Amino acid sequence: MRFSTLIWHNLLRRRLRSALTSVGVGVAIMAVAALLAISRGFEESMAGAYESRGIDLVVVRAGVAERLTSSLDQRLADRLRKLPFVEDVVLELRDQASLGDSALVGTPLLGWEVNSQLYESLTFTSGRPLKKSDRHAVLLGEALAERLGKQVGDTVELLLQEFRVVGIFTSRNRFENLTAVVQLQELQELMDRPGQVTSFQLKVRDSAHKSLDVEAVRAAIESLTDRQGRKLGLLAQPTRRFVTSTLQIRIAHAMAWVTSAIALVIGAIGILNTMIMSVLERTREIGVLRAIGWRKSRVVRMILSESLALSVAGAVVGVVSAATLVKVLSSTHRAGAFLTQEIPAAVVGRAMLMSIVLGLVGGLYPALRAAALRPTEALRHD
Amino acid sequence: MTETTSNENGEILIRTCGLCKTYRDGAVTALSDVNLTIYRGEYVAIMGRSGSGKSTLLNLLGALDQPTSGEVFFEGQSLSRMPDLDRFRAEKLGFVFQSFHLLPTLTALENVQIPMFESRLPRARRVAKARELLAAVGMSERETHLPSRLSVGERQRVAIARALANDPVVLLADEPTGNLDSRTGSAVLDLFDRLHRERGMTLVVITHGQDVAERAQRIIRIKDGRLVDAGVYDSQVLQKS
Ligand SMILES: Nc1ncnc2c1ncn2[C@@H]1O[C@H](COP(=O)(O)OP(=O)(O)OP(=O)(O)O)[C@@H](O)[C@H]1O
Ligand SMILES: [Mg+2]
Repeated sequence: MRFSTLIWHNLLRRRLRSALTSVGVGVAIMAVAALLAISRGFEESMAGAYESRGIDLVVVRAGVAERLTSSLDQRLADRLRKLPFVEDVVLELRDQASLGDSALVGTPLLGWEVNSQLYESLTFTSGRPLKKSDRHAVLLGEALAERLGKQVGDTVELLLQEFRVVGIFTSRNRFENLTAVVQLQELQELMDRPGQVTSFQLKVRDSAHKSLDVEAVRAAIESLTDRQGRKLGLLAQPTRRFVTSTLQIRIAHAMAWVTSAIALVIGAIGILNTMIMSVLERTREIGVLRAIGWRKSRVVRMILSESLALSVAGAVVGVVSAATLVKVLSSTHRAGAFLTQEIPAAVVGRAMLMSIVLGLVGGLYPALRAAALRPTEALRHD
Repeated sequence: MTETTSNENGEILIRTCGLCKTYRDGAVTALSDVNLTIYRGEYVAIMGRSGSGKSTLLNLLGALDQPTSGEVFFEGQSLSRMPDLDRFRAEKLGFVFQSFHLLPTLTALENVQIPMFESRLPRARRVAKARELLAAVGMSERETHLPSRLSVGERQRVAIARALANDPVVLLADEPTGNLDSRTGSAVLDLFDRLHRERGMTLVVITHGQDVAERAQRIIRIKDGRLVDAGVYDSQVLQKS
């Protein structure tokens, strides 16, 4: 017999209790894994969109909480273009509006220049990109189009003006599947924000020491000044860092973590409860084990192994159900636009690690209590 | 603290010196001033009325509990100065209890292996040894049985095999036949006789009945926590073994 056989037998004594405890942990781990996967999916899809466009740096106004809609003077683009190593500067204005007859409030609107680099992360499912000659033309993200029930050739109302749908797209950035794209200048007029953009997105020339160049450009942008020598107050961030520091992503991560923490505490309490009961029931038996020469450390090991087995089994259940959950959710219309289809390996790893911590934390106190039992007292117990 | 370990009667295995044990901060005196010597290879019965302190004494001899005052010496070594009592128990002592205390979810063969986890025996050796021990107590046929499927006498024999797992120097048994009828009880006692005779095992057995007393070499009597009769050391019987 192996030590593990003993652990297994001990857990099987109360099958239902063990199973329920594992399921409890499983639900906690499922919540953790699903939420982490979803928040990571957001981040990945956002970063993926920037990366597919070849963007190296994103420039926004410094010190603004809601960076996705802050504003900058579009004339700055020319100064940025003149900086060394800079290959291209792409302009984008973001805003929100209610889209005519739809019940939705606050559909994100993107203002892009014609022939913008930004189109590179889009795939058109029907129609075409915007052309210079288009007037009051709009592109709809696929999920938005579906929600509005619009097709190419239909019209939508944007701030009381009729816009013709000329293309429907899917984006690498899942957020953008729920957005509408119009020409930059039209959006500026529509929103009464002439000459304003939300961000500049920079491509840095390829070279062997590109990351150094990117850093040099970043420093140069942040130290730009106006004629009076005052700082312009620009924040330039490499794409990945920009994405992780946007409010949406930070909120998604924070929510994932807070919910996870709560789930984990509940999971740990479940294990704690089960193991305390289990130790109590086996008081006499533990006394016997000590009497026949088991050290405290082996008793601790036995109890901890049992709680670890419960929590790791729970984690397996949890990860599998999280994967199923994410798959099911991502295939539904509403959530599908946002969600990843799979749980990344890193999240699975983290969930497993958490379950181990959970098992150790939940099992520690019962294990120490079991080890602290005095053999004579334990033997008299009934 | 070590001390001389033999005298004219033979090698001293266990010696107690002014052993006292009180419970509940002195409200109950379970043992007072017990001085006792047990020789290697001896078969000793401890007798006394219920509540006289027999179990308390056995627990102190077996390092399961600490005396309030006084000392227990094992092979000349003071237990209170022993750095690792768990190891001492694992290596030197075998315990047999009145109600067997087998683990209910493990087979006979598995139960016997339990104490061996603390020794560094590889698994195959562990299993082989457990088999040998079950054979020695006449339980080879029942290796894969759970305790619930064994008769009480068989359970006690498995428990004795378990007590022998780490080749102890002494077997401490607290009323080992207390839950058995006279026939199965005497089978267990036959087993003790054999261990004593064939292996030279030292046996300290608490008993209520005359059955053990008849087989033991010496009877120690306790009354109200005091040693009233340490018995006569019978080297004749010892030589017989
Ligand atoms: N943990 C304890 N707390 C308080 N009193 C105890 C404890 N253990 C034993 N005693 C008391 O010590 C005395 C001796 O008990 P012990 O168990 O040694 O008797 P015993 O001779 O084994 O009796 P029995 O034949 O009934 O098993 C008894 O009065 C008992 O009530
Ligand atoms: Mg007793």
